[in-house]
Amino acid sequence: MGFLARSIGVCALATLSVAGVGPSFAAGGTSKASDFVEERLAIVAAKVLVASWDGAQVIDRGVVFVRGSKIEAVGPASELSIPADTRVLDVGERWILPGFVDLHSHVGGSGGDINDMVFQCNPELRVSSTVVPSNRFLDRGLAAGVTTVLYIPGSGTNIGGQGILIKTSPQTFEAMRVREPGSLKIAQGDNPTRWGYGMGRPLMNHHIRDTLAKGREYAEAWERHERGEGPEPTKRLELEVFRDLFGHRTQISTHTQMYRLVLSTISLMRGEFGLDVYIDHGEWAGYVAAPLAVEMGVGAIIGPREIDAVGTRTPDSDGKVLSVSAEYQRRGPMQVGFNTDAPVVPQEELFLQATMGVRYGFANDALEAVRGLTIVPARTAGIADRVGSLEPGKDADILVIGGDPTDPRNAVELVFVEGELVYDAAAEGRRF
Amino acid sequence: MKSTIHDTRIGKLLGLATFLGAFAFATPSFAQEEGGEKKDEAAKNEEKPDEDKWFAVINADVFPGTGGHFRDATILAKNGKITEIGVAVDVPDDATVLDAGGLRVYPGLVAYASAGLFGNASSDFADTVNTFSPNLVMALGNGITTAGQSGAALKLKRGEVDGVLLKEKASTLLSYSSQNPQGKRSLIDKFEATAAYLRDYRAWEEEKKTNKDAKEPPKKDSDATILQVLKGEVRARFQADDRDELLGIARLAQKYGFRPVIEGCREGWTVAEELGRAGAYAVITPRDRVDKSEELVAAGGTSIENAAILRRAGVQIAIVPAAKGVDLGGIAGRDILALAIEAGFGVRGGLTNEAALEAITIVPARLLGVEHRVGTLEVGKDCDLLVCDGDLMHYETFVQQAVVEGKVVYEKNKELFYAHIRPNETSALAPPTRVDKGQEGAAKPADEAKDKDEKKPDEKQDGKDGEKKD
Repeated sequence: MGFLARSIGVCALATLSVAGVGPSFAAGGTSKASDFVEERLAIVAAKVLVASWDGAQVIDRGVVFVRGSKIEAVGPASELSIPADTRVLDVGERWILPGFVDLHSHVGGSGGDINDMVFQCNPELRVSSTVVPSNRFLDRGLAAGVTTVLYIPGSGTNIGGQGILIKTSPQTFEAMRVREPGSLKIAQGDNPTRWGYGMGRPLMNHHIRDTLAKGREYAEAWERHERGEGPEPTKRLELEVFRDLFGHRTQISTHTQMYRLVLSTISLMRGEFGLDVYIDHGEWAGYVAAPLAVEMGVGAIIGPREIDAVGTRTPDSDGKVLSVSAEYQRRGPMQVGFNTDAPVVPQEELFLQATMGVRYGFANDALEAVRGLTIVPARTAGIADRVGSLEPGKDADILVIGGDPTDPRNAVELVFVEGELVYDAAAEGRRF
Repeated sequence: MKSTIHDTRIGKLLGLATFLGAFAFATPSFAQEEGGEKKDEAAKNEEKPDEDKWFAVINADVFPGTGGHFRDATILAKNGKITEIGVAVDVPDDATVLDAGGLRVYPGLVAYASAGLFGNASSDFADTVNTFSPNLVMALGNGITTAGQSGAALKLKRGEVDGVLLKEKASTLLSYSSQNPQGKRSLIDKFEATAAYLRDYRAWEEEKKTNKDAKEPPKKDSDATILQVLKGEVRARFQADDRDELLGIARLAQKYGFRPVIEGCREGWTVAEELGRAGAYAVITPRDRVDKSEELVAAGGTSIENAAILRRAGVQIAIVPAAKGVDLGGIAGRDILALAIEAGFGVRGGLTNEAALEAITIVPARLLGVEHRVGTLEVGKDCDLLVCDGDLMHYETFVQQAVVEGKVVYEKNKELFYAHIRPNETSALAPPTRVDKGQEGAAKPADEAKDKDEKKPDEKQDGKDGEKKD
C-alpha cells in the first residue's frame, strides 16, 4: 500500500476503515463514522500547487481539506488546524496539485465513429453518444493525472459537431458528464478538404460563416421569445447548439493552424460573431497572430505539435527549433494551455506536452507549465468554477506525485476525483 | 555559469568555427583521392602524428557513468583517448582546454539504433556517410556521440570520414516468432546441428595434437551465423515481445550457452526471472504501450515498470526512443533526439537514475561491441563527453558542448538549432534574456554566475528589443 500505510493520523490510535478510500487510512479523533454524513479528509503535502487563476500558486507544507466531493479549504499546514474528526493523509515529501484538463481528446469513446462527414457543416452531431466510460485510454490517462477531458469530433468537415466535457474516472456516463455541449468543433483548412472535391478555403469559410449566421438568427429568435418579445420559433435540432454558443454557455474549439487560418479564426468567430472561441492546435507559425488573440480575448491551447522546426510551414523559419507555446507566450503575453489530440499524442502524455514546451523555451518561472495543464484549459472551457485549481468549492480532483509533475521521471501516485480515491499506483500497479 | 574554450597554442586553431572550416576544405580532397594509401598520406600531413594532441576539460563536475562522481575535476586526453581523470591533473601547456565552468560532464550517449543521422547512408558506411548532415548536429546537440545503425556502430565525428565506422557488425538478427512455428523449429534445428558440430570440431582440435590422422568433422547442417553466435563472435539479436516467445528464447539461450539481445521485450516483466537466468539483454522503449492479448490468460501487455522489473532480475537494459530518426514534424519527445527523455520514463517505472544512464551509454555500447571505446569516461577510452547545464536526464538540460575524440564538435551557443533557448552570455546567436513585465527575471543558470562575465548589462535588461528582433 505504499505510503498510504505511512499516513499519519492526528490521533495515532484510531483504526477506522473508510469504504472507498482504502483501509489503511489512519483516522483521527474519537467520533464514530455515523456522526458525520460527509467525511472530511485533510491531505498534507510538502508542496501544494494551488494554480489559482490570479491568487495563490504554491504553498509549501500545505494542507487541502476535502469534504465529500469538494475542496473545503486550502492553506499552509502551520495556519490551519485539523479538526478532530478528520482523516489525515500526510504524503510527506510529495506534492499535490489539481487534476489535468485536456481540451482536445478523441479517446473518450468507441473510436472510429466521431467523424461523421454527412454535410460540410454538422453542428447537430454529438460525440456524447459514443462515450465509453472507463475505457483503457481514459484509464491510462487517469493514471497520469488527466481527470477531465473535452472529447470532441474529428476534423473531417468544417463543423464536426459537439464535444462533451467529461471526467475520466466515473463508471457511468451520467457521472462522467461535466457539461454538454462541451464545445462546437470547427475545423478550418487542411483536414476538411477531405470532405469533397473543390473544398477550397473561400468555400469553407463561406460555409462556416453561413452556418454561424443561421445559428445567430436562430439563437436571437429564441432569445426574443424568451424575453416575451416574439413568437416561439420552430425547433431546429441542427441549430440548437447555437443557443448555448450565443448565450456564452459554451465555446468553439477550433482546429486552426498557420498565421492566416488563426487570423480568420479570431476575426471571423470572435470579431464578426462575438463568440467564445479558442485556438486549438495553433502551430505552424499560428503564433504570429498572438497579439491579436490577446486583444480579442481568444485563448490558445497548443498541441499536439509542440515545436516548429526545419521544413514545417513556418514562413520565416530559419531552421531554429521553436517551442510553439513559448512563441505564443513571448508574443502575448498570454496564458497558454496544452493538449494531446489523443490518440495522436497518447492521453497519458498530456503532461509531456508541457514538458517539451518548457524544454524548448516556454517560460516556467511562475508555474506556467502546470497552469497550462490545469487552470488555463479549465478557464478556457468555462469550467474553472469546478476544476483546474485547488480552491475551496471546487471539485476535489487531486493528484499526489513525487515531485515536479512535468518531469517524466515523476509518476503520479494517487488520483482523487471528486473526493474519491480512484487510482493508487502502489496498491493496484502503476499504469503509467 | 558558463563554459569556454581556450586554446593555448599560439597561432593555432581558436574555436569550433576554425575547426570546421579546416575540415570543410580538407574533406572534399580526401574524397577525391582514390587509393587508400594516398588518403593515409594526406591524413598524416594534416595531422602531424609526431605531435601529440592534448585536450583537457577543467572545472567539471564529472559523472563518468561508472558510479560516483568527481567534483571540480579535470579530464585529460591525448590524441582522443582519456589519459587521466581527477582533481590534481597536470595539463600540458599546449593542450586545448575546455573550461566547463562547474557544469556537469557526462559520457557521450550511445543510441542503440538510429536512422538518418549520417545522411542517406544505410550500408557500406565506411564509404557513404555524410557527416555534415543537420540531423547529426542535432543528435550531438542532444548528447548522442555514438549511434547504431543497421547493426553497425558509428561515431558522430562531425565533418570527418575516417574513424566514423567503429564496428561493422556486432550482432545478427535471428527470427524466433510464434507467428512462424516452422521458422522456430528450423532455428532450433540449426542451433542443435551447429552445437553438435562445434563440439566435434573442438574434440578434433584436441585429438589432432596426438593423432595426425584424426579427421576434421563435416560441417553438415551447421550454420555459419549460428557458429559465430556460439563462439561468441557476434551477438544473437531477436525482435520479440510475447511472453511465450521470450520464454522460448530464454530456453534456447540457456541450452546453447549464449546471451540473447531482445529488442522490444514488451512482456519481459512477466518472465523477468527466466530472462535474467538466461543472461539476456533487453532493448526497451519504456513508454511502449500495447494491451495484452485477449486470449492470454496470464498477465501480459506492456508495463511502465518493465525496465525496472527486468533490471532487478539481472537483465541488462538498453533504452531506445519510439522512433529511430529525427522527427521535426512538430510532435516532440519521442524521436532519437529524446533519448535522455525516454530514459527518464525508465526512471518513472522504477529504474534508478544510474541504471537509466547506463541504459543509454555503456549497455548499448556493449550491445554494439564498442564498450572498450565508448559508454563511460575511463582512462584508455575515447574522450567522448558532454558538458551539460544540469542533470542530463532533466528536461530543461541542454548539452552546451559535445566532444568527440578530444575535439569540440558541437557548441550550443554557436549553432542555429538551440542557441536561443535559455542562452548563456557567450551566445552569439541568442537574443537578450527575456524579462516579462512585473517579473523579477528568470532564475536561469545564465543569470547565476554573473561574476565571470558582466559585459553587456544593457542588452540583458532590454527585453523588448530582443522581442522585436525576432
